[in-house]
Amino acid sequence: MKTEVAPEIQTTMQREVIPATKAHRNKNGRGVSRYMTVPGLLVSLFVLVIPLLVALYMSFTDWSPTRGTLLDANLIGFENYSELLFWDNRFLHAVVRTLLISGTCLVLEFSLGLGLAVLFLREFRGKSVLFSAFLTPMMVLPVVVGYIFWMLFQSNGPVNQLLEIMFGAEAAVLWFRSPSHAVAAVIITEVWHWTPLFFLILLSGLKSIPENPVRAAIILGASPRQVFWRVVMPMLKPVIIVAFIIRAMEVIKLFDEVFMLTRGGPGSSTETISLYIYKLAFNDFQLAYAAAAAFLVLIGSLTLIHLMLLPVRDRLLEGNR
Amino acid sequence: MTEPKKLTTIQAIILFIALILTLFPIFWIVMTAIKPPTDWNASPAIWIPSEPTLVNFMTLFDPDAIRAYGVGGVSQAATSAVIGSIIASVTATIFSVAIGLFSAIGISRYAKNSKWTPLVILSGRMFLPAAIAVPFVIIFSNIGLTDTYTGLIAIYVAITLPFSTWMLKSFVDDLPREIEEAAMIDGRSRLMAHITVTIPLIKGGLFATTMFIFILNWSEFLFALVLSYSNINTIPVQLAKYVTATAGTLYGVQAALAVLAMLPLIVVGYYIQSHLARGMTFGAIKQ
Repeated sequence: MKTEVAPEIQTTMQREVIPATKAHRNKNGRGVSRYMTVPGLLVSLFVLVIPLLVALYMSFTDWSPTRGTLLDANLIGFENYSELLFWDNRFLHAVVRTLLISGTCLVLEFSLGLGLAVLFLREFRGKSVLFSAFLTPMMVLPVVVGYIFWMLFQSNGPVNQLLEIMFGAEAAVLWFRSPSHAVAAVIITEVWHWTPLFFLILLSGLKSIPENPVRAAIILGASPRQVFWRVVMPMLKPVIIVAFIIRAMEVIKLFDEVFMLTRGGPGSSTETISLYIYKLAFNDFQLAYAAAAAFLVLIGSLTLIHLMLLPVRDRLLEGNR
Repeated sequence: MTEPKKLTTIQAIILFIALILTLFPIFWIVMTAIKPPTDWNASPAIWIPSEPTLVNFMTLFDPDAIRAYGVGGVSQAATSAVIGSIIASVTATIFSVAIGLFSAIGISRYAKNSKWTPLVILSGRMFLPAAIAVPFVIIFSNIGLTDTYTGLIAIYVAITLPFSTWMLKSFVDDLPREIEEAAMIDGRSRLMAHITVTIPLIKGGLFATTMFIFILNWSEFLFALVLSYSNINTIPVQLAKYVTATAGTLYGVQAALAVLAMLPLIVVGYYIQSHLARGMTFGAIKQ
């Protein structure tokens, strides 16, 4: 789509025509423009870095709001961290649960999204209308999604009604009373909400695959299955990785939908890390402890994302394909 | 890819089922929003309301409207939540896009070799909101920003800035920088070249980004929940409150609020659907 003259030609032309003009002198970005990123960095500093430093300090104290200001708190070293890592089963369960829910969601969303995207490579009537329809879920607010599915999974709600029609009266389930069903409800909700994102990303990825290698493979006698797995998938790999990273970054934070669906219940069977930290901080007012938990999660998720990001980091930073 | 083929029958059926699964939850919430109180929690559930009504929507703004059906009024009108959502999302969107535009041009044109600037801005997305909410509440309560729109807007700007910066950056990257250099040869300063050339050329992208950031701000829940007590309110918080306070006895009214919350986003979303992937992936995936 770019209407670009090859850059080398452009620069040569300019070098000859305008040696040492103002534009040329400013090539390294002198003047006001050089500071254009400053507002963004300042916002990041004041609104993200400073709160994080406060939280880091806090995580080494035993502070809670009843103990005066943060400066009055006692430094207790790594006590919060060791408590979390070695003694706090609820935290460890929340971590494992979040990873399991995230992993399941990613796999399901990816598979369904890919299947749908492949169907959309075919020709059929009403394709553009259907395309828009399939994107609808991702435009709905997470809180509303949680609320909608909370209604759908009511004991006398439509999901149970359909189950009864299809499999008889015993098939109805008290979705929010049994831990495994509640987890299933969370996963179904999340998959409904975000499969469209995978669909959208994978479809644009599939469409951007060059025709020639595919044609060549077909001419050389490859079966459709071979073409898909051996030719298309390898070329789609960077797109898939980007999609996974983006979704992983978000699904690990899972909060709004679960808050509306189950509030973490029954018991703590659907408590994600976010929900656990929220409850620690804003229901139990154990702010220092919550901050330590947050930092452990931050370190863990940064490590995970970094590992996933390695193969495509340059591509993501450049933003060009 | 090779020439598109027609769908087979089986594929068409799969597509049809997928479509129903996608749209059913939305159908359900809209139907619930127009159900009269007698149909709200009927057992078995009623799919199509017996007498469609707008009383649920009216109750959002006039808590007593529902009394005509013999149901006690809602404790609190949702008016403040709607106004609060509009104030917070619109203001935060303007700031986020304005600052993001500067950063985007800055990164795209002058920071090609600096990898840490974009990463610092991007890192804002990697934190658990529940985690940074804790220090925010402490800092804000010390400087008097809890329960104020100023505080909420500041956070919204901070958490959407990575999206606005990176999405706009991808549009600026698409412009050859020679266009700006041509303007500078005409005697304009770098800054003026950006204002008179770069920004007008990406105005489509600027519009899409603005709408995308609005969607994010309008959807935000956690910070609004922990920072609002009595002065400020947003729709997501109000929806959560309805659910807790009334323990599911006001389905129709809650559904009406949910519909009110999602309607603008669906309209805006369809309008910018070709840019959604770009926004969500920080500009890495274009369409």
